[in-house]
Amino acid sequence: MGEDTESSKGNHSFLRDYVTEADVISTVDSTTQENLLATGDKGGRVVVFQRETVSSLLPPTSSHLLSSLLPLPPLLSQPKGELDQVGETGESGEYNVYSTFQSHEPDFDYLKSLEIEEKINKIRWLPQQNAAHFLLSTNDKTIKLWKVSERDKQPEGYNLKDEEGRVKDISTVTSLQVPVLRPTDLMVEVRPRRVFSNGHTYHVNSISVNSDGETYLSADDLRINMWHLGITDRSFNIVDIKPANMEELTEVITAAEFHPHHCHLFVYSSSKGSLRLCDMRASALCDRHTKLFEEPEDPGSRSFFSEIVSSVSDVKFSHNGRYLLTRDYLTAKVWDLHMEKGPVETYQVHDYLRTKLCSLYENDCIFDKFECVWNSSDSVIMTGAYNSFFRMFDRETGRGVTLEAWRETSKPRAVLRTRRIYTGGKRRRGDVGVDSLDFTKKILHMAWHPEENIIAIASTNNLYIFQDRVSPDTQGPDLGSDTI
Amino acid sequence: MEYKVEAHRIMSISLGKIYNSRVQRGGIKLHKNLLVSLVLRSARQVYLRDYYGGICLSAQQAREWCEGEYMDSEQDKLVPGSTESLPESDGQSEVAVDKQEPSNVVESHAALDVESEASGEQDHAENGVLDSGCSELKTPEESPEASPTCEVSNVENLHEPIVPHTCTNRKRSADDSELTDSLPKKTKVMSSTLISKNDEKKAETEEMDTSNVSSLITIFGSSFSGLLSSEDGAQPDSEAEDSDSGQICCDQMLKNLNPWSTAIVAF
Repeated sequence: MGEDTESSKGNHSFLRDYVTEADVISTVDSTTQENLLATGDKGGRVVVFQRETVSSLLPPTSSHLLSSLLPLPPLLSQPKGELDQVGETGESGEYNVYSTFQSHEPDFDYLKSLEIEEKINKIRWLPQQNAAHFLLSTNDKTIKLWKVSERDKQPEGYNLKDEEGRVKDISTVTSLQVPVLRPTDLMVEVRPRRVFSNGHTYHVNSISVNSDGETYLSADDLRINMWHLGITDRSFNIVDIKPANMEELTEVITAAEFHPHHCHLFVYSSSKGSLRLCDMRASALCDRHTKLFEEPEDPGSRSFFSEIVSSVSDVKFSHNGRYLLTRDYLTAKVWDLHMEKGPVETYQVHDYLRTKLCSLYENDCIFDKFECVWNSSDSVIMTGAYNSFFRMFDRETGRGVTLEAWRETSKPRAVLRTRRIYTGGKRRRGDVGVDSLDFTKKILHMAWHPEENIIAIASTNNLYIFQDRVSPDTQGPDLGSDTI
Repeated sequence: MEYKVEAHRIMSISLGKIYNSRVQRGGIKLHKNLLVSLVLRSARQVYLRDYYGGICLSAQQAREWCEGEYMDSEQDKLVPGSTESLPESDGQSEVAVDKQEPSNVVESHAALDVESEASGEQDHAENGVLDSGCSELKTPEESPEASPTCEVSNVENLHEPIVPHTCTNRKRSADDSELTDSLPKKTKVMSSTLISKNDEKKAETEEMDTSNVSSLITIFGSSFSGLLSSEDGAQPDSEAEDSDSGQICCDQMLKNLNPWSTAIVAF
């Protein structure tokens, strides 16, 4: 315990020089992309990472990033043939910065005298249709569609402009030439293609691209709108839970997502812990749900904070579209779409915090919104916790592991070591006591590669990328050894 | 008694959060403020319940309250043995206590109770939703000490029930195992929110407002419209005293109000 405290103190002073509020990562997404990962931060910037598929190594170009390769513990690894694409050096697969751009700027609503934060709340990639990549990014009020494309050729030989672009004096032009495309250094261009504004009165918390590839939904606290990717001046309101009298408000929408295969189905979660599946074929306004997923509250565990703890912070469909994964403050639950009366699996993420809810309420940690993700085969779920820990649960065995995303304890190419929280009983070396958890180091945002065992974990202003690697050098589970 | 302290502390913290949210960047976060207000109501409920328990145990008032409770049709739903237990209201808190869970747990956020307490006219059976939390009020231990402060009701009238329907649902699900005891029952009766209220009561409520509670009442009375109005940029002046007003109002109420005055129906 002593060493944990010391190392965290040391790290604070080290980081203080580098962390700025604006660099805090606020969202991560790689859902439809094999080789791209995007992060958004509180300063309105989006950073896109690309996975190198050749064996050349490029050093990270951004000082506030950390990208490392670490094999996942074998107990969760799923060896796949395609992981053996390693090149001769065995170094391929590293993520590097592909592009950085300012997506949103701070804005001001003059009518309400409110400042609109530039923080990126969500990023979602669109399914790739041509050589360019498209992503949607949103802050509290405005959604933007960005096109990320590469350019490796440039036209040269204009008649009216010189090489620097200055207009030539016509009298100096003596002959005409046809501009030709010449190869240049690879450039990544990012351009805003659509701006979807004025659709929301409340803060946008989710966006989700439909499987039809043409529409997407955006959800704020009380309404969900459906947009067409090509039309920016109007949207359809498909859910509206605003009561006639705002004083009767009891719940808000916390997350929403389209079904991965059925373009008419979507789900939204509420602050009361319920999920509603809606079918857009039933009516234009889906205020009446098709299915309501709700677990009856356990009267034995009531407290002042029961409502806060049961509020769902994230909802995700499984890749096969049969299950839903939800995250509330203390648990992660898997629901079967065919069973509404309760989840089929419940995983305790950090139940040891249940007795500390009052102090977590005071320091606002109880309002943290953790995300959750599925792996590609829907057999493993992952979510974040405090102290730079994140948890993975194997659905087949029900077992969970705690892993840490912290640069001081992670060396590139080292095996990730599982961690334990000490909650009583025999204490092992390396166990972390509940009272020594650092609640400022929270893992809220994460992404899992759509096909491979590559995960991206955002911790404050750092992004950790972990990969599962099958190689003869992989050690067995490294559970007992001490580190550093 | 420590529940009261804890509840009071949570109330102060919650009010502080609501106040701070009005000045933070990006505008008011509806979700967070909704959750904070739910916690605030739960805490308020517990806080007032403590005083309320004191009132009930006080002989005279207790009997009079009890009589009114008979008329509460709502009781039957949740309080099977209520009628028999009525006569015992004076002293036997233990009855209620036994089955109740250890407190500090305020279930039913349903803020209603707050108002309900204010509105708890003993003579009028409320059709309104009874907050389940009410039934859980178990303050038998503390009741003897609590002075019959009726701050209960007044503080409560603040705000109309935010979710009457929700309350009902919660109540039913949570209270099945709950004790129905004279004490809790009373509280519940007292606290039952009025969906159908007497005009008379409403008038009384208005008269009863004191300056001490006015700021707090304004805040709660406006509830989300208050939050929304600040979203729209308007900020009531009284909000500046959120944190302090809660304490002042509660304390003052304790001293000044007599039990009968608390039988005021909110709205």
